[in-house]
Amino acid sequence: MEVIVLGAVTSSVYALLAVGFTLIFGVARIINLAHGAFYAVAGYAAYILINLGGWPVLPAMLAAVLITALFGVAVDRVFVRPLRHSHMAVLMITLAISMAVEQGLTVAFLGEARSLPPLIDGKVSVLGVDVAAQRLLTLLVSVVLIGALWLFIQRSRLGAAILAISQDPEAAEYVGIPAERIFALVMGLSAALAASASVLASPFLSVQPSMGLLPMVKAFCIVIIGGLGSIPGSILAACLLGFTETFVAFHISSTWSEVISVAAVFAMLALRPAGLLGKREAF
Amino acid sequence: MTPIPRLPATGRRTALLGTLGGVAGFGLARPALAQSGQPIRIGMSMPLQVQLGRDARAALGFAVEEVNARGGLLGRKVEVAFADETDNTEAGVNGVRKLLNDDKVDALVGHYTSGTFLAAMPHIARAKRVTVIVGASSPAIADRVKQDYARYKYIFRTTMNASNQSADVLDFVSGMLVGELGLKRIGIVAENARWAQDIATLLVEGAAKVGAQVTVNETVDNSTTDFSPILSRVRSSGAQFMMTLLAHSKGDLLTKQWHDTRVPVLWGGIDGRAMDADYFNLVDGKCLSMIAANFAVRAPITPRTIPFFDSFKERTGHFPSYTAWTSANGFHVYAQAVERAKTLDADAVVAEMERTNYEGVEGRIEFDDRHDARSGPGLLNYVFAQWQPNGERVVLWPKAIRSGAMIVPPWLSDARTPG
Amino acid sequence: MRSIDFGGACLAVAALAALPLLNPGEYLLGVLTLGLIYGIWAAGWDFMSGLTGRANFGYGLFIGLGAYFGGFANTLWRTDPWMGLPIGVGVGVIAALLVGLPTLRLRGPYFALAMLAASVVMERLVLILWRYTGGDEGLNDLDPLVESHVAFYYVALAFLVGSAAILLRLSHSRLGLVLRAIRGDEAACQAAGLDVTFYKIGSLMISAAFGGLGGVLYAHFQLQVSPQLFSMQMAMAIITMAYVGGLGSIYGPVVAAIVLTLATELLRPFGAWRLLVYSILLIIALFLARDGLVAPAWQALRRALSRGRDAAPEPLRQARSPGTSA
Repeated sequence: MEVIVLGAVTSSVYALLAVGFTLIFGVARIINLAHGAFYAVAGYAAYILINLGGWPVLPAMLAAVLITALFGVAVDRVFVRPLRHSHMAVLMITLAISMAVEQGLTVAFLGEARSLPPLIDGKVSVLGVDVAAQRLLTLLVSVVLIGALWLFIQRSRLGAAILAISQDPEAAEYVGIPAERIFALVMGLSAALAASASVLASPFLSVQPSMGLLPMVKAFCIVIIGGLGSIPGSILAACLLGFTETFVAFHISSTWSEVISVAAVFAMLALRPAGLLGKREAF
Repeated sequence: MTPIPRLPATGRRTALLGTLGGVAGFGLARPALAQSGQPIRIGMSMPLQVQLGRDARAALGFAVEEVNARGGLLGRKVEVAFADETDNTEAGVNGVRKLLNDDKVDALVGHYTSGTFLAAMPHIARAKRVTVIVGASSPAIADRVKQDYARYKYIFRTTMNASNQSADVLDFVSGMLVGELGLKRIGIVAENARWAQDIATLLVEGAAKVGAQVTVNETVDNSTTDFSPILSRVRSSGAQFMMTLLAHSKGDLLTKQWHDTRVPVLWGGIDGRAMDADYFNLVDGKCLSMIAANFAVRAPITPRTIPFFDSFKERTGHFPSYTAWTSANGFHVYAQAVERAKTLDADAVVAEMERTNYEGVEGRIEFDDRHDARSGPGLLNYVFAQWQPNGERVVLWPKAIRSGAMIVPPWLSDARTPG
Repeated sequence: MRSIDFGGACLAVAALAALPLLNPGEYLLGVLTLGLIYGIWAAGWDFMSGLTGRANFGYGLFIGLGAYFGGFANTLWRTDPWMGLPIGVGVGVIAALLVGLPTLRLRGPYFALAMLAASVVMERLVLILWRYTGGDEGLNDLDPLVESHVAFYYVALAFLVGSAAILLRLSHSRLGLVLRAIRGDEAACQAAGLDVTFYKIGSLMISAAFGGLGGVLYAHFQLQVSPQLFSMQMAMAIITMAYVGGLGSIYGPVVAAIVLTLATELLRPFGAWRLLVYSILLIIALFLARDGLVAPAWQALRRALSRGRDAAPEPLRQARSPGTSA
């Protein structure tokens, strides 16, 4: 029972992170190594607004998501766009940005872990399991956000443009879809998703400069397992990994759960290079 | 007075090629300068990114000021050279080498990260400078002093050795938990590291002797961020008290998750972070009712304790981290040994250091044959203090200095609520 | 090799060899020695990633594995430190084969991601298995390769010169040409009947051999092996050196490694800013100096020199914009 409830919470955070990561890949064909930096920026933005700005929790968290989305757009415009022709250059620049963010945060806020207050305090019993209310909220909000994203892509005009570009960027440009704008928008969306994961999970985790690295590595693993660029694949893989890790932590040992996720990646690469639901073997 | 003839291997070359390099003459001229009232230099290597490092630097500064105000050491002024230990081993070791070879310090006080210090040990041994560790607590350091005394005898430590700590923890279990509260079922959560596993093993053996029983013995990894499985297993084991043994693990996350799920088990133990004076704020007060083991808190442990805490707060605006008083103690212990030896010669100072009997902030400091500060009655001890409302720390154990009544978490009606 | 290049290399080596005579002190000499070891790594990284355009974010894997296995041999079985060098090379090569087989068959970013994940997990494993690896505290009590620091400096210099010479030679051989061709157009190479995967894995193994070699040298200089060798920061520092030096040139990364190692130690007063400086340097290199700083500077200098002398044959130009690939 505990595995089911807590595994669902873990999976939902992973899914939020992985969906953003795979979205930007599917549309703009870039691997964004600054994804973890978005996660960290959101945590610190919320921390600053709440502890130094004296904001109430909910507005501060919404603002943090917005700030991170803008940061994402800025990263795309300033750093990624001029280098878009080269995959390796984009990998390098986003990695450099993530390191710069991590070190910048260390310099500005020192190395110690900070704390974010939860949106709702207290515990809830679900299916006979005691869960912190914030975790349950995380699960609910994640499901809603991913659902909304799905609707947005499938139903709206902008979503149709995004889909068009992801399927055939050249043809999309011919019919007048402004690719660069769409890329920036998707980067912002992706950053906002990472930011949401951050402000939801940070109250039961913590805010520190290197907080983005492991989530980013996890997001990688999930995206590779699910198939680069496939949103349903990422969600499926996030659940697979989330539940497996929780199961291992409960029934074997929490120290091994991370190693298992990466072992799964290598197995997947060897057996099914395109991932669970990936269409193409990379590009 | 004996000069300090510790020219490194390159020294001979220095003599030959002395005129080639601008700084070359310095190494040779030094012994002569030492006698003519040049300042004594103390090197400190601590990580500046954490409060522990910044507090240590501040406290060493105050201690040095104090000695200089009294006329210095052997009539010479004392100066501090500082190197950032950082969280990177390579940079930390480079820093120590800079202090030893470039700044030519007479002694080292500091060192927080065990891995970095272990890596720096061969360099310190080569340079033969007296070194007082104020943070790094790995038993491996003392093991090496014991195994290769001739090489490593210059190294001392003014904090409690991790393997001496189990006696104090067991004393708390038998006296407070079993004796006063009647809590006999203990769940252990220990870090995946040697010191913690050592204590856990001793605790499992010792608990039986004092009438307690260990219901579960969990191991956590430094990178563990989700403690739910561990909390769940502690709870379902029927433990009445959760004893944690953590230093580098994310104890702050354990605190939050314990509070957020209202785990119906009392909690306390060793947690490197819960020793910090600002811990209550760091975790939004969620450590309420946690009983943390401390090297000292503001309580009448020795005549120096309360004055030290108050004057540190007056000068910096906050209460000190433990590295503040271990640094101050470390410097004073060295300074007194130098005054007794009447020389800076490392071997003579080491001999005097071994005779140390110094009333420090957290107890009397004496060194054992491994050059670790001894623990025991009147010496260094753990002080078990409970986090109470508004971030007050109330001493519960040892009983002699108890400063208030114990509270239980708001979601428990009394301490013996079954888990 | 053209005579100007050869002359320049000799001059640089002679300058490095003369440095200890200036008596820089044990501390500075130590930093320089580290710089030389970083030079081996930067050249090794550049050989695979610079030539083929496949970024390797997990180079620390080879460094760390080499250092740990060398360290195990020395601390557990008390083998001679010199014996560790072939062990480090062997371990690096085997690791490269194991990681390369499943990932280098694939195109695109999988290799970069898999290497990153592999090094992160290896760092974790070392911490989890602390009973055998020493965990955070690492392996300690290693024997020095040579006792004197000056001698060690020369040993490191000799290894660096040897490594750079081998790698430069290889990069101008047929193998190097194939690798450069792979960066240009992998599909075309395949169509031309080249076994692209074979070449990529081979170049990774060569690259890893020098990672392992440097790892063992480093271990017996620092006298300790730390899990931080596996870290992202480590790989990041080496990548920055390669970029600042000029990708694919081998000698550029070597020079950049020595200069940057020295510079970061001299930046010590800035404390925590060191790594920030690294990442900003990398961003600048990516934007303003696509071909790095060292290699283009040397190309300009040698052009000026050869204009003075009678026209030397036009040098083999370094392929431009090393980033374009995949």
